[in-house]
Amino acid sequence: MDEQEIIESAKSGDRKAMSVLVKNYEKTVYNFAFKICRDPERAENTMQETFFSMVKSLHQFDGKSKLSTWLYRIVANHCLMEARKKKHEFFSMDDEDGLYENNYAADWDSIPANIVENTELKKILDEAIEKLSPEYRIVFMLRDVEGLSTEETGKITELSVPAVKSRLHRARAYLRKEINKAFQK
Amino acid sequence: MSDEKVTCKDVMSHICESLGEDLDSPRCKAIKDHLDECQDCKNYFKSVERTVDFYKKYDVELPPDAHTRLLDYLGLKDE
Ligand SMILES: [Zn+2]
Repeated sequence: MDEQEIIESAKSGDRKAMSVLVKNYEKTVYNFAFKICRDPERAENTMQETFFSMVKSLHQFDGKSKLSTWLYRIVANHCLMEARKKKHEFFSMDDEDGLYENNYAADWDSIPANIVENTELKKILDEAIEKLSPEYRIVFMLRDVEGLSTEETGKITELSVPAVKSRLHRARAYLRKEINKAFQK
Repeated sequence: MSDEKVTCKDVMSHICESLGEDLDSPRCKAIKDHLDECQDCKNYFKSVERTVDFYKKYDVELPPDAHTRLLDYLGLKDE
């Protein structure tokens, strides 16, 4: 069965097909949720809520986008809702001048490339992204990390294309700067 | 060569791509010209590329039993 057929079966109430969809997408959804929440417990909770919504409203999925894109939208909405509940202090992106430096040294070659085994680097990445507000984090993750188009990212986050671009370049500049700072120490 | 003047900050804060934007617009052309010649901007974009790459490679595994908990939560079974 190809995915289209599995989706159609799931829509018509085939629970086995629904389980297959869950299995096929759980890692993708968990990873994306983790990248935004930065916390295993909240990521798992988001994953459960996301698939709960999928089971409930798969009949509304029209197949115009990929199922993963559709799921990303649910994750993003859930995360934004959670973030708005907690009043958290995030880095203010209004001070755009603070994001750029006067010159850029090319000494990034010394940063180890193998992130998987590097706990120190992971910690730096976690700390940098945690300071970024979820609105920026989601745009960066969808557009740059998951590789969605600017337009798709805009649809998911309900932002215009120029707004996506503006958030994207600020998020990039901010994360770059934080990582740079951590490695200058 | 384009006549439009752009600064490094303009280049870093502008994303030229096809959606809703003319890639051959004077502004995008000026940005490309600038990028060809400016080592600072090249370094900037190189480090942004690496930043993105770090986050791409930062994948996590599903916690043990999370799959079972998920199916339980949804009232579905592994088949
Ligand atoms: Zn420059």
